[in-house]
Amino acid sequence: MRVLIIDPDPARAALVAEGLAGIDPLQVQVAAVYHEAEAAAFQPDVVVVASESPDRDTLESLREASAVNPRPVVMFVDRSEPGLAEEAVRAGVAAYVVDGLSAARVRPVLEVAMSRFHLMHQLRADLAKAKADLASRKTVERAKALLMKERDLDEEAAYRLLRKLSMDTGRPLGAVAADLLAFAGVLKGGDPT
Amino acid sequence: MSTSGPLQLGFIPLVDAAPLIVAQEKRFFAAEGLSVSLSREGSWATIRDKVAAGALDGAHMLAPMVLAASLGIGSEPKAMIAPIALNQGGAAVTLSTRLTGDGDAGARLTHLVRRRQEEGASPLTLAAVYPFSIHNYLLRHWLAGLGLNPDVDVRLTVVPPPRTAALLGEGVIEGFCAGAPWNMVAEAAGVGQTVVRVNEVWPEAPDKVLGVTEFWAAANPAVLKALIRALAAAGAWAADPHNQPELVGLLARPEFLDTAPEAIASGLAEIAFAGAVNPPRREQAGWLLEQMARWGQVGEVAIDKVVERTWRPDLYLAAQGG
Repeated sequence: MRVLIIDPDPARAALVAEGLAGIDPLQVQVAAVYHEAEAAAFQPDVVVVASESPDRDTLESLREASAVNPRPVVMFVDRSEPGLAEEAVRAGVAAYVVDGLSAARVRPVLEVAMSRFHLMHQLRADLAKAKADLASRKTVERAKALLMKERDLDEEAAYRLLRKLSMDTGRPLGAVAADLLAFAGVLKGGDPT
Repeated sequence: MSTSGPLQLGFIPLVDAAPLIVAQEKRFFAAEGLSVSLSREGSWATIRDKVAAGALDGAHMLAPMVLAASLGIGSEPKAMIAPIALNQGGAAVTLSTRLTGDGDAGARLTHLVRRRQEEGASPLTLAAVYPFSIHNYLLRHWLAGLGLNPDVDVRLTVVPPPRTAALLGEGVIEGFCAGAPWNMVAEAAGVGQTVVRVNEVWPEAPDKVLGVTEFWAAANPAVLKALIRALAAAGAWAADPHNQPELVGLLARPEFLDTAPEAIASGLAEIAFAGAVNPPRREQAGWLLEQMARWGQVGEVAIDKVVERTWRPDLYLAAQGG
């Protein structure tokens, strides 16, 4: 089976390609943008496309022009399984199948793509959270250092003071620390960033 | 969808998405008690699929798309309706400056097509923005008027509107039919020249509509009425010349069209948003089905039945009633 993956996000496309490894036989081609000549040379059986790709409309037109196009594509949705299309839409992935390929053979491809899209989404969310946590820790460190200097506290006491501010105001430690730094800047007449 | 959280409405970055953008930013949705989240989408296919699957409650849609989706042409069938039309005008055919110049651009195109056929060269490629669009039908109609068969004499393809100017410049396509501001963008870049505007051919052709599923409309009648009123009010605001500078600035913003204000302003000049434009007219839907039939997209259909179910002036009127 020849699968063409079109995704403006190369990392996610690679992840999808990797996930297809169990399908045999298999040839995978990955592209950020649908390119007609490349696709014609590769002759895919299935085109998996990220739904944010504007190329979906081009793929739809190929299907529509099937009377004259030697490689018609149709969106894979098995009418007997209404939930699958909805799930694919929510995952942000669509698949087009070249005419003549049985829908059953495409299902594993679509399922891999969907699970990989979800995985990538989760990885991104985790990364964003890790970055935010790290930034927050750095802010807390700086606020602590400021308190130690200005109030002549030791590290433990500076931290307790920040904790207390956080609990009294019901706001996260990082946010309280960021406020403290901003206000300190203003009080000193500096740039509050 | 709408019972909890904001209403999710999709749009494609085009000048004629103005009613949705204005309704959000100038608080016409809020005035109707609606909380709305606008979602910019990259393709019409995704708009259709998200509305069909309920990931969007409604969207800015190409008018013929509501018919195609309901008939299950090009996708699984999903009953969709058009309870308000959003605009007329804005679609235009632009040819590469390689083909235009002095004299009749159409005649030059025809001559070139015939010469290439005699030489056995590959046919010229022209693009529309989506198979089920008045842009596709306008391009085909214009070519037919030149004595060309759009399915034989040229190669028709679909190109995402933001890429039209670049592809024209690179010589990948020789012309395209798209909505505002993309014709103006190609002209401003010096790669294209607009040769025919929809207003010159079909001044009353319905361009975009609000598309929702029949199911959603039936389940949310009060919300739909409020939505129709907000969009009509936003359309009237967008049509008021006094608001034009503010509207241009609003549409140009990165989260909406992210395009040069000059191109948006020239696009706005060709588009009607309000008044007689808004009530969905069934004869227009019938006309769209005729266009679809003319180019082989639909076979025999019971036009009256399809139109009655999809084009819903009754809902528009009911909303105006309060």
